[in-house]
Amino acid sequence: MAADGQLVTVQKVEPASNPVQDEDLEQYGEDLSGLTIVDVDVHVDDTLMYMLDYMEGHFRKRMETVLQADFKGEPGNSLRNMIAHIAWLGSSYDKPPRAKLATKEDLLARMEKGIIDYSILFPSELLPVGYLPEPEWAAALATAYNQYMVDAYNNLAGVKIAIVVAPQHPDRAAEEIDLHAAHPDVVSVCIPDVGVNPPIGDEKYRPIFEAAARHDLPISFHGIEALIHDNYPLRVAHFHTLMQVNSMGFPFTSMLQIMSVVCAGIPVRFPNLKFAILEAGLTWMPFIMYRLDAAYLRYRTELPALEKKPSDYIRDWYIGTHELEALPRRGDLVKLIELYQGHETTMWASDWPHLERDLIAGFMRYEMDDELRRKILGENALRFFGLTPRK
Amino acid sequence: MTPDKQPSLRSRSRRKIPVAPLHDFPPGTRMEVKVGSVQIAVFNVGGDFYALYGRCPHQSAPLSRGRLQGTVICNAETCWKTEWAHDGEVLVCPGHGMEYHIRSGKAFGYNLRLRTYEVVVEDGQVKLVM
Repeated sequence: MAADGQLVTVQKVEPASNPVQDEDLEQYGEDLSGLTIVDVDVHVDDTLMYMLDYMEGHFRKRMETVLQADFKGEPGNSLRNMIAHIAWLGSSYDKPPRAKLATKEDLLARMEKGIIDYSILFPSELLPVGYLPEPEWAAALATAYNQYMVDAYNNLAGVKIAIVVAPQHPDRAAEEIDLHAAHPDVVSVCIPDVGVNPPIGDEKYRPIFEAAARHDLPISFHGIEALIHDNYPLRVAHFHTLMQVNSMGFPFTSMLQIMSVVCAGIPVRFPNLKFAILEAGLTWMPFIMYRLDAAYLRYRTELPALEKKPSDYIRDWYIGTHELEALPRRGDLVKLIELYQGHETTMWASDWPHLERDLIAGFMRYEMDDELRRKILGENALRFFGLTPRK
Repeated sequence: MTPDKQPSLRSRSRRKIPVAPLHDFPPGTRMEVKVGSVQIAVFNVGGDFYALYGRCPHQSAPLSRGRLQGTVICNAETCWKTEWAHDGEVLVCPGHGMEYHIRSGKAFGYNLRLRTYEVVVEDGQVKLVM
């Protein structure tokens, strides 16, 4: 006890060997208790070694070869690192420490704290699947991932799964949706949107949207650093640092895919299909909505299928908060959300346990009324994924 | 209360808070101290004690759990060449990696300085001065 009566505690601590995760959930436990909390972007260890048992024939043989390749330092080898991070390996001097992959036990321990009601699992390893030049190989990986996830993570309280599709093979993607849509723990179709060329509004992808609409399964676009693009959407060869690629890759890809989907009239053809964008932050939303509106005045005749202006469609898209931008003032997030009219569509996302994950403190620091906070932390996500409240 | 009995602002702001006996706080260790609601990270780096505000301004991660390492600098003094510097004196936030110079609290690359606190050793006791 200090002289002025303040409680003093002293605790010997050790440097964290892994990035601090969500210890702050307890810090905010009182504020969060009673609220429905849905973390709409959660990742578990889905490295390629888990896919092996789900592959057959020559693709299994190929996976065995992949798993023998020596990419040092990565457990079970990493598709992400094989095609991506190697270019910038070590550029952050291991600062902060590398994110540990979350095991099933890690996930369950996080859920058992009783603060988060639902975790929506998205792929890690297969996020770059859109890069792969061979449609059959990409589709085989997606098939293996989906079956592994459904087998390993089914029937866990509060744990739901987004299956992944390889967009370069639309027919196989539609088959995956048909196969898994009825599973009670499958709540969304994830389209890894980076590297997808042509953009996702192209006519060739129509089977994916038809299948999702047929099963009333919402589509979530999830980005990854635009790591090896030499053309679309950015010529990353122009950038010398991973930071530039990371900063631009997610929002640029998201803007391009939203623009592509809306301008192709997909929301008109599939009016009940719901869309979300994850891991791209929020600040670009007003830009793409109102920039397109301005151009629409001049070029509407290029988009005769649209029945209203682009922002009227984009406003219906859901959006995950991660990677939440650090806006300078505590009232700024509400102002931003007002600009893109996202009160009913903004969903809290952590990206746990990845390196760039958001601690909940990053969201709680912003001032907003209780109703909006409740919607963003859980209610909007319940509606998007078709979930029932757990408390 | 007569003016001479009023505690001066200086004396009120110079509270000494015991952290640990010196022998329990050897070089290479750190303590997380909470004074009321304020969290402070106290380090023994090679026999010198440093205390800084213990929550990262970015997303509140506890700085007491950060690693101490070096970092890269590039400025006029290095003739704009990138050099590894401040080895062992850079506190890396365990949340997302913001870096602070442990001596000054200055954040590398940000116009930001964490509050620092004086640490004294008196009668074999490490004390935080607030």
